[in-house]
Amino acid sequence: MECGRHLNIEILTLSEIVAVAGEPGAFTVTIRKKPRYIDMDKCIACGICSQKCPKKVDDDYNMGISKRKAAYIQYGQTVPLKYVIDPDACLYLTKGKCRACEKFCPTGAINFEDKEAIITLDVGAMVLAPGFNPFDPSGFDFYGYNTIADVVTSMEFERMLSASGPYQGHLEKPSNGKSPDKIAWIQCVGSRNTNQCSNGYCSSVCCMYAIKQAQVAAAHLPAGSEQTIFYMDIRCHGKDFERYYESAKTEKVRFVRARPHSIIPGPNNTGVSMIYTTEDGRQITETFDLAVLSVGLEAAQDAVDLAEKTGIALTPYHFAETGSFTPVSSSRPGIFVCGSFQAPMNIPSAVARASSAAAEAATALIAVKGSLTKTKTYPQEKDIAGDGPRIGVFVCSCGSNISSVIDVKAVTEYAATLPHVVFSENTLFACSTDTQDVIAKRIEEHDLNRIVIAACSPRTHEPLFQDTLKEAGLNGYLIEMANIRNHNSWVHQKEPEKATQKAKDQVRMAVAKSGLAGPLDQMKVDVIQKALVIGGGLAGMNAALGLADMGYPTVLVEKSDHLGGNAWHLDQTAQGEPIRPALESLIENVMAHPRIEVLKNARLTASSGTVGNFESRVDVSGGPTRTIRYGAAVLATGARESVPTEFMYGKDERIMTHLEFEDKFRDAPADVTAAQSVVFIQCVGSRNKERPYCSRVCCTHSVKNAIDLKVENPDMNVYILYRDMRTYGTREDLYTNARKLGVIFIRYDLENPPEVSQDTGNLRVRVTDPILGMPLSLAADFLVLAAAIIPNETKELVELYKCAVNADGFLNEAHPKLRPVDMSVDGLFVAGMCSYPKPVDEAISQAKAAVARASSVLTRDEMQLDAIKSFVTDKCDGCALCVDVCPYNAITLTETVENGQTLKKIRTEMALCKGCGLCEATCPKDGISVHNFTLQQLRAQVYAALDLPN
Amino acid sequence: MMEIRVGKLADALGVHRNTVRNWIKTGDLAALPTLGKKYVIEADDLLRFLRDKGISKDRISRISQDMAAGGDPAGSFASLSQNNPLTLQKEVPMSDKPVGSVLMVGGGVAGIQASLDLADTGYYVYLLEKSPGIGGAMSQLDKTFPTNDCAM
Amino acid sequence: MSDNFEPTIIGFLCNWCAYAGGDLAGISRIQYPPNLRPIRVMCSGMVHPEIVVEALSKGADGVIVMG
Repeated sequence: MECGRHLNIEILTLSEIVAVAGEPGAFTVTIRKKPRYIDMDKCIACGICSQKCPKKVDDDYNMGISKRKAAYIQYGQTVPLKYVIDPDACLYLTKGKCRACEKFCPTGAINFEDKEAIITLDVGAMVLAPGFNPFDPSGFDFYGYNTIADVVTSMEFERMLSASGPYQGHLEKPSNGKSPDKIAWIQCVGSRNTNQCSNGYCSSVCCMYAIKQAQVAAAHLPAGSEQTIFYMDIRCHGKDFERYYESAKTEKVRFVRARPHSIIPGPNNTGVSMIYTTEDGRQITETFDLAVLSVGLEAAQDAVDLAEKTGIALTPYHFAETGSFTPVSSSRPGIFVCGSFQAPMNIPSAVARASSAAAEAATALIAVKGSLTKTKTYPQEKDIAGDGPRIGVFVCSCGSNISSVIDVKAVTEYAATLPHVVFSENTLFACSTDTQDVIAKRIEEHDLNRIVIAACSPRTHEPLFQDTLKEAGLNGYLIEMANIRNHNSWVHQKEPEKATQKAKDQVRMAVAKSGLAGPLDQMKVDVIQKALVIGGGLAGMNAALGLADMGYPTVLVEKSDHLGGNAWHLDQTAQGEPIRPALESLIENVMAHPRIEVLKNARLTASSGTVGNFESRVDVSGGPTRTIRYGAAVLATGARESVPTEFMYGKDERIMTHLEFEDKFRDAPADVTAAQSVVFIQCVGSRNKERPYCSRVCCTHSVKNAIDLKVENPDMNVYILYRDMRTYGTREDLYTNARKLGVIFIRYDLENPPEVSQDTGNLRVRVTDPILGMPLSLAADFLVLAAAIIPNETKELVELYKCAVNADGFLNEAHPKLRPVDMSVDGLFVAGMCSYPKPVDEAISQAKAAVARASSVLTRDEMQLDAIKSFVTDKCDGCALCVDVCPYNAITLTETVENGQTLKKIRTEMALCKGCGLCEATCPKDGISVHNFTLQQLRAQVYAALDLPN
Repeated sequence: MMEIRVGKLADALGVHRNTVRNWIKTGDLAALPTLGKKYVIEADDLLRFLRDKGISKDRISRISQDMAAGGDPAGSFASLSQNNPLTLQKEVPMSDKPVGSVLMVGGGVAGIQASLDLADTGYYVYLLEKSPGIGGAMSQLDKTFPTNDCAM
Repeated sequence: MSDNFEPTIIGFLCNWCAYAGGDLAGISRIQYPPNLRPIRVMCSGMVHPEIVVEALSKGADGVIVMG
């Protein structure tokens, strides 16, 4: 994770807030930093302290399934990768005896004198993301969580599945270590439950993780294993989630709509027996090898304490209180919140909210932007063109991590005999600060122009050595690493001779590759510090306003003649805030903003360029065509309600869609409230063959309308015909409330949909009630169809920008989890319903996230791109085989006419290329290669590995 | 016994109506529903509640004086909306000497993302984490849906 | 084949997954035979088939492309 190395991020671990004083823009925060007992500057994460530590305790990271030592790291990739001593477990700190780790630590990093420290920090703003706790089901005695070995929580199961977990990814039953061939998941444990706990909300992530666990478990277990999920409603309301659910069904995961009321030990005290009642009223007892409780997400006690110390308001469920139009602002100015602290949410939502909190904090502090950040400067680079390779090899002992297995002296001596090597040296810690100075000195003394470091992984340490080279005036790409620790001494501890031989081979391979390395220029792109926003709905306007507030001139392109989009048809948010006043003031702010230019009746007709430097042509109807240059763009083209083709829509004016009904309710409320019976049908055109996705917003919308109807006219019969109620998160409260008010919910199946008929002027809806098992005929004064949300046409944009859409036509993100607002094309960001249907608060938070992400591009004058990119050699004859394989559309075929002959050749767009080298592997004649990974270099490594002359 | 309207109380306190409804629902605010979408509450209960929410003493005493004089309690709320701890964001002025750094509390996936975004945009970030390392719950997950990518 | 035969296996490891996995194996101290000669690539898709054939014909006992 890049966080650990960021020049402008300081990580304070083992720390918590004590108090907050001051005002927005200038807070003084008091922090308590607990002792680590290990000096972070000295610890090299060799793990010897942990090996030598005699004390074992339950490992929280593995949910207590396995043991760890008192001196430990949480997991292999922890950042910062520094060990820590658990003061509650350490024998010395609890009983005053031991100090074994201190004796063995090769760097003297153990410091038992470490004391708790109180520090104060001056900050301009705060962002709180303390996360969640998994619900603890210990209190539910009917599930036997603490008494039956083979009942585990989903969090524990997650660790059981993990290859880095306590069972190395081999599933076994806790009771007897055998393979659990029949596993059951129970959903909504500690969620949607106000009887046994007070978590009335839906945790919104459990359905999906249970389906995922079932699928992954099936892949881990031998053929014939069975997975069963017991649920109330399956809630897969995210992008491509419905498909995932459908694929689980076809892969034979069994879904049972029931809530088992108790779990008892299985036969022979292994496995479990479960008693549940099916929808048609039969009571069934079934045995399973393992029961997984899909526990919900709860506000952590830490989070409640944090809220108290920072003075922000919480909701009754102890989540941070926010508004739909200010989705990341807490009740205290200058303090922003994100992640599961706000409500249970999945990873992409948490990441999007995090970015939007960053945008809000940044906007609040725009006046002092850059005042405390640092940048680094390097000396002029030495020109080594024409010089033969002069390679220096540094062989690291890594304390004793390498030298205890590998004969580093022999490897160092061997390295000196290799071609082009003019210098070799053994170092205790190649990564230590003083060694960096030594390396720089040696480069000077021996006029070295390439460096090979035989130590650990380039994935973690190459940037450090690149930096050292740059500081010594060498190009950063003249470094090559041989990983003789992670890939050698650590994994061949019992075979020192062979390990030493392998280390020699690895050094030889690295030297061979290094000899062929050359300096690479990092491409620089001037950044045009302006933005373009496409789409003038809620998301687009919020994005434009955010970007303009951050100081970037922004052009907002809207295809229609007015701003606002769908929001004009909506009355209230799920939280009950009126939308229209907010919308009107938003439009006013956008129109009045000095840095925003709004182009209505406009559309993009041409586009070129790459991140930092785009140019587009915009046709404005009735006006001149404009050329706009910008560094980043936010696409917020939106979505719309589809026109239903089913349920007699269009044949009777009493049958309407959500938005039509909303308009009617606002414009002629008396007509609506006078009705005796209103029927809602959910999933009209969603979750079917044609559109295998959930439109996400309709369940909440119908329930909200139903409540309003019942409140206005309690005698009205309100029916909601649904397939799964998907009132996720705290929207569940609306569902609960609707049922309390007497709204009648009737479930139907896709195979057996309701039938609508007109009978002597009256509308009738026939549906089979699954609990009664009987057909019902409902009179309807109004029939409201929850029509599917479909994306607006983006074909032209997709073609212009070469970005991607999913099978349903929604714009795709660069990564569905970790980069939810970035698009696969750098410099483009996505917000609002064009990526997936979403309610107001989520659209706004995504728009603000796009602001944060776009401004991380726009804030720079120029961008440096990694130099590991493809380049075309003179052998290219324009066969264009590589054009199709390039996943980033970075290759184009060009034709030039020379002496009357047409010459074909390919051209690569450096800014788009990511250096994956698919082109290199495809080319039959070495016409295209990737810098630092050329065929010659790979070949040189192969030859060196086989100890052949190249 | 006095009558209150959710909307008026919410406006006066500068919070959302649902917040007031939630207080009532959880029993924090001991009000009972009555006709016309109003609630009734014992004056003492309301005062105690205001005190718990950090409303200053003089304001509360002003309310009780108003009520003793038979005044409209909603009227005395109106004077509350400035400068009270429940008032939302924008009404509080920014410091005139703002600091260019941000404190991020929590080193999970959200905290890491927000830190990177801020640091990349020109702000110094302190990332506070209570455990020995960052990564949070996501690092404990095996794989993620819908693509079954590795969570790391 | 004699008992002490030690094959030389050339491994092409994708920087983002297999190579990272190799790093993790190290951190977890998972022991495996020392016959692999790892070559880091930016994507397993960059390994040209020609190079695989060449490695085998020049004496490698096995080639593994991991990504």
